[in-house]
Amino acid sequence: MSSGDGRTGSVPDAASVANLTDRSGRFGLRLAMWYTALFIGSAFAVVLITYLLTSSSLAQRDHEIIQSKLGEYATVYAQGGLRALAATVDAEQRTSRERVFVRVLDGGSEAVLLSNAEGWDPSALEVGTTALLDGAIIQVGKSTEARSDILRRFRASLGLITLSIILIALTGGWVLTQSAIQPIRRLSSAVRHIIATGRTDERVSPGADDDAINELTLLFNAMLDRIEGLVQGMRGALDNVSHDLRTPLTRLRGNSELALAAEPDLERYREALADSIEETDRVLVMLNALMDISEAESGVMPLKREPFDLNEAADRAIELYREVADTKELVLKSGVRRPAPVLADRVRIEQAAANLIDNAVKYTPAGGSVVVDVETLDGRAILRVRDTGQGIAASELPRIWERLFRGDRSRTTRGLGLGLSLVKAIIEAHGGSVNADSEPGKGSVFTLSLPQQA
Amino acid sequence: MHALIIEDDTAIAEFIARGLREAGFAVDVAADGNEGLEAALTGEPDVAIVDLMLPGRDGLSVIDELRRKGRSTPVLILSARRSVDDRVRGLQAGGDDYLTKPFAFAELLARVQALVRRATRTPEATTLTVGDLVLDLLSRKVTRAGQPIELRPREFALLEYLMRNAGKVVSKTMILSHVWEYNFDPQTNIVDVLVSRLRDRIDRPFERKLLQTVRGVGYVIG
Repeated sequence: MSSGDGRTGSVPDAASVANLTDRSGRFGLRLAMWYTALFIGSAFAVVLITYLLTSSSLAQRDHEIIQSKLGEYATVYAQGGLRALAATVDAEQRTSRERVFVRVLDGGSEAVLLSNAEGWDPSALEVGTTALLDGAIIQVGKSTEARSDILRRFRASLGLITLSIILIALTGGWVLTQSAIQPIRRLSSAVRHIIATGRTDERVSPGADDDAINELTLLFNAMLDRIEGLVQGMRGALDNVSHDLRTPLTRLRGNSELALAAEPDLERYREALADSIEETDRVLVMLNALMDISEAESGVMPLKREPFDLNEAADRAIELYREVADTKELVLKSGVRRPAPVLADRVRIEQAAANLIDNAVKYTPAGGSVVVDVETLDGRAILRVRDTGQGIAASELPRIWERLFRGDRSRTTRGLGLGLSLVKAIIEAHGGSVNADSEPGKGSVFTLSLPQQA
Repeated sequence: MHALIIEDDTAIAEFIARGLREAGFAVDVAADGNEGLEAALTGEPDVAIVDLMLPGRDGLSVIDELRRKGRSTPVLILSARRSVDDRVRGLQAGGDDYLTKPFAFAELLARVQALVRRATRTPEATTLTVGDLVLDLLSRKVTRAGQPIELRPREFALLEYLMRNAGKVVSKTMILSHVWEYNFDPQTNIVDVLVSRLRDRIDRPFERKLLQTVRGVGYVIG
């Protein structure tokens, strides 16, 4: 606040801004790596399972073929002996596309029939064996070459598929994370810009989707709104304070200067000093009022909310002005009174009520009356101050709540011109509203309305 | 009576010291927290006036340390902050009273004297007397030169407050908070109005005027 560059709020130094480098890229990379690893991992699992299933079902098929051949040959052998078997095998070898190796061993393990002897290599064959009735053994072998060939091709295409899956995963991961961190990027670059420039009036444009990031963006904007409100409130208060303190300070200074410049005169000095103290007190009252107004307007006024009835605040405020009203020969009294429970800061509401009564008493001539009503209307707790004063011109009515506005009628009356602004600020800080109606020459009605306590 | 002022602003310390000396106090001044704590522990003052923002050691910590060492010296806190939180924090740290800058010296004096009085437990009087003006706290009757004076409750409260502080100037703020229990600044000077009403009752019919206005400061009876 002390910086003279016209900006409010402290701007971080270069070092701390430098620390705020873009970390969303690193975050995106991590996200992409996780995504890719998961994608590739599951793709591998699928490929591996497919391969194993295919390979085992191929083996199963070979096994079944061998078993069925064995059964067939055993039947032929049982019916027609070795000769019939040899004929059958021979015939099949010629017609069948899939060559099968057959060997029959007699009881002494001598090969008595062998087809395709040149290809009989047990290591490259899947072999099934069954015993025949006469003690001989028949063996059927099938080459695994075809199977290995299929599996080899299958492996090759699986490799290609896996490669393209990895490519898709990497590209997809990159695209996906880029689009996921895009709003975060926007948000952080806006924040970085605001930090660097101190401009709190910038906003991040929210995306179209109703997602968590968008919510964050909206929340961030709402936070900026609030900060900006605070900053403007403070700035306004500072402007007002510096502007409005100049007048009393000028009086204060002029007063002392005149006294010092004059011939030494004790009585005159005493007068000047007393004037100075009174002027200082006025400055203090004004400073307090300005601070209260800014605090209430910017939403930082601490409100100690408690349940109470507006009637109590009205009665206390009437009591405060009882003697003043008597002295001015005014009637100050309660009018309509109905329960009006509120949840509010008692002291502040009393202050608001007191200021309204103060205002009414000040501008109501002798013989007039100031009446305070309290009631509840449509869920709103209402406090109304009616006077029979000189009223306010319609042209001035909208401006009476402004800070330091002093209408024609009040030029000659002592006051700071802050009372009604404070009322408005306090009531609005409570979520309430204020209103003034007036008929010049007849009187005015000032109304506060607060949410009724549920 | 011995008062210790712990305040780093020499002009403020100076005017408080001069005022208290004129009121009959022996006064010591310390300009930083550590020096002040030392003086409070060794000098055993009857009352200490402690500013919150101090070099060396802040006011709250001075009070805290004083209490930790078992000293019950009454402490009046001075602060430039007027928020309720600061007041509460000050009193929680062991301060006995709290005064916000800027203040009227009359108010500071009244508070310091009240603290000393509380600490030495002067018995309560049941009647207050100033010259020929007598206020009976029990029957709530007021007489001047034997003649009964009718007062409204608020006027009675004001007179009682002035008479309890007879001979001392009380400020408008003090009156506002004691007579109405209000702690904000009303726009109109309701205190002036009440004082002038009281003056009509107790002084107007009599030759000698008891209630005086000290311009710029407040009022005094005596």
